[in-house]
Amino acid sequence: MTLAPTWDAIVLDEADGVATALRPLEAGQTIHLRYPGRIAELTVSEAIALCHKVAVTDLEPGEPVRKYGEVIGEASAPIRRGAWVHVHNLRSLRGRG
Amino acid sequence: MAETDRFLGYRRSDGTVGVRNDVLVLSATGLTGPTARRICAAIQGSKTVSMPYDAGVLGEDEAAQHRALVGLGRNPNVGAVLVIGGNPPKVERIAEAVASTGKPVEALSLDDCGHDALVLTDKGVRAGAKLARDVSSQRREPAPVSALFLGLECGRSDPSSGLTANPLLGLIADRVVDAGGSAVIGEATEWLGAEHLLARRAASPAVAQAILEAVRGREQLAMDAGVDLLGHNPGPTNIAAGLSTIEEKSLGNIAKSGSRPIQSVLAYAQAPPTPGLHLMDAPAYAPESLTGFTAAGAQVMLFTTGVGNSFTSLLAPTLKVSANPETCARLDVQLDFEAAEVFLGREPIEAAADRLFQTLLDVASGTATWGEILGEGEEVVSRFGAAL
Repeated sequence: MTLAPTWDAIVLDEADGVATALRPLEAGQTIHLRYPGRIAELTVSEAIALCHKVAVTDLEPGEPVRKYGEVIGEASAPIRRGAWVHVHNLRSLRGRG
Repeated sequence: MAETDRFLGYRRSDGTVGVRNDVLVLSATGLTGPTARRICAAIQGSKTVSMPYDAGVLGEDEAAQHRALVGLGRNPNVGAVLVIGGNPPKVERIAEAVASTGKPVEALSLDDCGHDALVLTDKGVRAGAKLARDVSSQRREPAPVSALFLGLECGRSDPSSGLTANPLLGLIADRVVDAGGSAVIGEATEWLGAEHLLARRAASPAVAQAILEAVRGREQLAMDAGVDLLGHNPGPTNIAAGLSTIEEKSLGNIAKSGSRPIQSVLAYAQAPPTPGLHLMDAPAYAPESLTGFTAAGAQVMLFTTGVGNSFTSLLAPTLKVSANPETCARLDVQLDFEAAEVFLGREPIEAAADRLFQTLLDVASGTATWGEILGEGEEVVSRFGAAL
């Protein structure tokens, strides 16, 4: 028998606006988030597939979205904490010919 | 890593060490591809690479194709080469550049065979058979980690690649570089958004400048083509798997490079001038990217995938690594190394790096990868421009 990990999603840097789901997450589920050096709780507002991103802070349109402590794009729509973050509400700032 | 870490390889007369000992049937021209395949089918254990072009290729494209053909022949995993092509000047120029390594090389052309592909086939099988007998006399010997040159690739990536599998490769790259070996990452489009982190690790201001210029060049290519990178890179498979932007993909991608200084930015298929970590300014698509590394002299590829990617180099054994738990459960005869336990927080990444390093030495010593067993390998040389 293997031990289950004690967290469901990981935040790579304290500055990050998103966590990555380490397992499929269900709408309404309260999950454990692993930050560097601490664990926090978050209630997920919609289903998040394995490896997809969930917002850990509210993000306004135009606000930079960080992962790895680095900017991965900007919010293209209002994003509430607990929501799925993907191409429908996060847009790249590079190579948009 | 212990000082005593060794693998068993084939020592070449130019000082390099092969991890395989192949006879390569190298077709330098499009006209001779079918003949190369016939010769390869007749000689057990040989491999063939065909360049589908020849006349009319110009300038930088011509230079890159020549560099790639010569580089594939010079790769330490190749014990002997049969070069075939349209005419004597073409095959002899390649054969001479390959033969300077000291390995046996034969060259044959259609012009010398009465323009008869079947005569070329007959002569090629006879010459190739002798080369195969010749290389079969070579034996593996202990070799140091400093003799390794790793190609670091990712394909069909997902966020588990950037979180776990690529950082794991980075730890292996650091170990090999620290031992005096070499490593390369390419896929220059996937430096976009992370180029400031790479430039910070450049061994000199000129290298930092070259990194930034390479990224500007790729971004401009997308802009000039009127292409939105979203949907191209990240592509549909990446997006379905959870990658949202090129910046996110790039930040995960560059983790493969580890943490050591970047010695140079290589052109496509260019051999590194020194040991250490290098970048290659090359297209991102795995088949052409891997061939750029093979032609530069890499003997082993470490290739991470998120959702699965069966493609491998033909000449360099390619270890497939994934950290996605669903992928690891699904692809038992594709993945050579599973890191899902690290992704899930159940195994320290350093422990997985110890396991992967041992797997790397095993494969370098002759253990077959799934890609070798299943015949997933090809070499595909990039084209860069229009032809006459």
